[in-house]
Amino acid sequence: MAGGVSGYAAISSRVRAMYADLLSPQDIVRLSDAPDFSSLFTSLKGTSYGPYLDGLKDKDINPRKTVVQIKSRVAKSYYSVVQMSPVETRPLVKQLYRYFELGNLKAVLRSIVAVQRSSEISSWDRVRDVLFPLGAETVIPAQAMVESGNITAAVELLNGTPYEEPLAFAMKRYSTEQNLFPIEVALDLSYWRRLWAEAKKLTGADREHGVKIIGSLVDMNNLMWAVRYKVYHKLSEEEVINYTLPFGYHVLDSDIRAIAAGADIASTISRLYPGISDVSTLLEDPRTGLPKLEVMLKRALLKRCLAAFVGSPFHIGIPLAFLVTSDLEAQDLTVLVEAKSTNLSEDEYRPFLLKPSLLN
Amino acid sequence: MFFPRAMTEVELIVPAKDLVAVTKALGSRGNFQQIDSTYLGLENLGPSSWQDTSASYSALERRVQVLAQNLNLSEEYSGSPKADSDADLNTLQAGVEHIEANVKDTVDQMSSEKKRLEQLESQLQQLQPIADLNYEIGALRKSKYLYSITGVIQADNLDRLLNNAGLSRVPYTIFKLRDDPKKPLVWLLGPRSHSDVIERAARSAFLAPLVLPDELNGTPSETVKEITVAIDASKKKISELERAIAKLADTHKKQLHELWRDVHANRVMADAIARFGQLRHTYIVVGWVPASDVDSLIQQLKKVSKEILVEVRLAGPTEHNSNAPVELQNPGFLGWFELLVKTFARPRYEELDPTFLIAVTFPLLYGAMYGDVGHGLVLAAFGWLLKSKVVPALRSMASLGGILIASGLSGTIFGFLFGSVFGFEEVLPHVIRPSESILQILGLAIGVGMLLLNVGILLNLYNAVRARDWGRFFFDSNGLAGWILYLSFSVIFVQAVGNLILKITIFPSYVMAIAAVVMAITTLIAVVFSHPLQHWMEEHHFVIEGGAVMFGVQAFFEVFEKFISMFSNTVSYVRVGAFAIVHAGFTGAVFVIAKLVGGGHEAGFGYWAVVVFGNIFVIMLEGFIVFIQTMRLHYYEFFTKFFQGGGSTYEPLVLSTAQEK
Repeated sequence: MAGGVSGYAAISSRVRAMYADLLSPQDIVRLSDAPDFSSLFTSLKGTSYGPYLDGLKDKDINPRKTVVQIKSRVAKSYYSVVQMSPVETRPLVKQLYRYFELGNLKAVLRSIVAVQRSSEISSWDRVRDVLFPLGAETVIPAQAMVESGNITAAVELLNGTPYEEPLAFAMKRYSTEQNLFPIEVALDLSYWRRLWAEAKKLTGADREHGVKIIGSLVDMNNLMWAVRYKVYHKLSEEEVINYTLPFGYHVLDSDIRAIAAGADIASTISRLYPGISDVSTLLEDPRTGLPKLEVMLKRALLKRCLAAFVGSPFHIGIPLAFLVTSDLEAQDLTVLVEAKSTNLSEDEYRPFLLKPSLLN
Repeated sequence: MFFPRAMTEVELIVPAKDLVAVTKALGSRGNFQQIDSTYLGLENLGPSSWQDTSASYSALERRVQVLAQNLNLSEEYSGSPKADSDADLNTLQAGVEHIEANVKDTVDQMSSEKKRLEQLESQLQQLQPIADLNYEIGALRKSKYLYSITGVIQADNLDRLLNNAGLSRVPYTIFKLRDDPKKPLVWLLGPRSHSDVIERAARSAFLAPLVLPDELNGTPSETVKEITVAIDASKKKISELERAIAKLADTHKKQLHELWRDVHANRVMADAIARFGQLRHTYIVVGWVPASDVDSLIQQLKKVSKEILVEVRLAGPTEHNSNAPVELQNPGFLGWFELLVKTFARPRYEELDPTFLIAVTFPLLYGAMYGDVGHGLVLAAFGWLLKSKVVPALRSMASLGGILIASGLSGTIFGFLFGSVFGFEEVLPHVIRPSESILQILGLAIGVGMLLLNVGILLNLYNAVRARDWGRFFFDSNGLAGWILYLSFSVIFVQAVGNLILKITIFPSYVMAIAAVVMAITTLIAVVFSHPLQHWMEEHHFVIEGGAVMFGVQAFFEVFEKFISMFSNTVSYVRVGAFAIVHAGFTGAVFVIAKLVGGGHEAGFGYWAVVVFGNIFVIMLEGFIVFIQTMRLHYYEFFTKFFQGGGSTYEPLVLSTAQEK
């Protein structure tokens, strides 16, 4: 199928229809008024997530399974967009989808380490419920990896997948350090480099808008890595540079290098994201401050995605923005599900909601 | 045809002794979709031992896969497990162990030889860039003042390392010993006093240091010679082992495939049983079976278990059964149009499958916009080409073939009505000509659109009745009140069009007054109080959420949005007429250009070349645009009136890969 107007007419219609089905900020606020998890679940069934929650039997109605069902809607959106997007943009959408596979892979590896440390018997059932429901759209043999019981054997099962190469280098470090950190860094760097490369392969309006959305995602992650490595992990300048990416849309390599070299992080972030202020206070207590900073960056990303819907509809930017928005909405709902099931007060979970910030 | 295949919820109480036989019967038929019924079991029995059995079969299946890989056997095997196959885990395990024992030595030798070869080749490759050095490389490791790391690095990481500002604090240098686009070999060198910084930078760039043999005391060229000889010997040994493995594969192929088939079937069965509800001496099995297959299934189950209890419940078309799996059943050419429906959404179990409708309306609207005998026939021929899969490059688009055939033939029929063949309008007689009857064509298009929108709303009413959803039936914006609202809106709309465009009055003033009053009342029912009234219908109490002010604001915008959408939905169908006119205009333009190229004559090579290529251009461009416009009219305007979608796929339990296919 060709790109441009002809290539996007069908997907544009479909994405607009799916976009209209997303929850509004008011909907999220209304859901957050639910007094407990059970009420939240009932309210959610009255939304476009209803069909996904209908499949849960009474016994299975618990926060964990509810979140999986919520995520399955995001998975379905990705599936639809991948099927309908023009051929030349499909690798980018597929690579973006791999973000969830990357998350699953990390979860599997962490579960193996956790089981090794606690010398428990590995339980696939326990891991399965925290994985993103990718169905057949994954190259990770997750169950076999969990059942293998050790990282080296699990990683060997990834031979022939896109993860083989970055893991080949990272495993050399793992074998000496016995720590998942280098593996996760290598996987992250490899994923984002591939994603960026796919975005750069596009041409014309696809490239312009694709790079804008993907670049904004890269910006957020790269900035958070740099800050976290510097402030929380207290890594050296050379390590921060090696563990971050030299590209992005708004956040330049020089910004990352400045943070790595010890420049004032608060002023760098305020300059890059004028809407985010008071970063110094957040960095005083990194354990609580960094998650809040991440939420602020996600809110900025959400606004950028919503802005993508204005203007010409015939480019990949809109489907990408829709997919990112869907994921952010699922994150909001996950926060609500977890908050309501653990009886958190509104003051405790409200700062972590993304969509309601659009009402301000 | 009009609805998804009727499903029956089947509940079985199976005596423990017949469990395997019953599961085998369910799986061998390939029409039973299991529902996880563990929650119906007794909790104090603890976790089902079948979970462990499933894990054991799963592990055994992986062992079989590994064996097949080691013996270079394909992963394909055919046939279903024998009905009387009672192969248990121990028997199958023994079979796998027997083959493993027979091939183990050879496979282990092959594995270690390959590793050795890999190591030798790696060492050789690492030494190649420094092969011409005439001094002992081992001496570098013993340097007193220099700290150096030689190793392989990912190309992406090298760029980052080369430009690492952190490393520039210390004197250092990097040599690229081997330029590889993916994994270059580098030598990082600096003062030993700053070894910590150099080491940190190298480690964080994932630089994998070379593992050269400890015995590397001579010059690299001497070592390269030794390694080359060892590589040749290793390759020879691998060839011998490959022949031995091929012989072993021939010996064990049949047995291994039979084992694989049985292990797979047992694994699937154990998985299924683990999700049955376990009571003390019986199991509860719940699932979906197509209603037409229930009797034969029960007969077969009674054969394998005399004491089995079967309870069936035909899933009626109510919302209560929306979790029933959905299998569409559209025979013949209707099946071509399932693609269009599924691309939008899979119908819910209780709702109408709109495939039969879209099979009529899609070609109808398409043909109206693409009315030309010649163009329609070319499109139909192209559709046939896709469907027949004659051209390998077009096989991936085969599912579109049927739709294009129907649309092309419809375009041909409209071509006869419009009297147009490849743009020539004088060859055939015509009933109506779009370019000459613009207002009539546009009016007709809007009329057809209004008819379709009414059909859509009526179908929504039908779906609501079928689902016994009375709130939706009466008070939904596309329910009964919504329909009356749309009818009254249509009266006012038609009058406005008559006054403004045709300068005529169509309805008398009392009809307009009635329409206005009805519209006001139904706006209140179908828009302003739609949700509270639906809630009242379901829960028997009237609730206004969010307070009166918020409700008022929301109601204002909903009314605004409703009128905009009624107007835009109706006017949207004008595109059908507009595209019919554009199609005629486009082909007209082709003839004008052709005449210019032909020097004012309707003859000559130039004239005919433009006519032919112009027609090809119009066929392709319009064919595509019209397809998208037709899809848009269905997805946006038509489906949203009655079609919810969101049904789940029918995925029956099957024991063999042949059934899966």
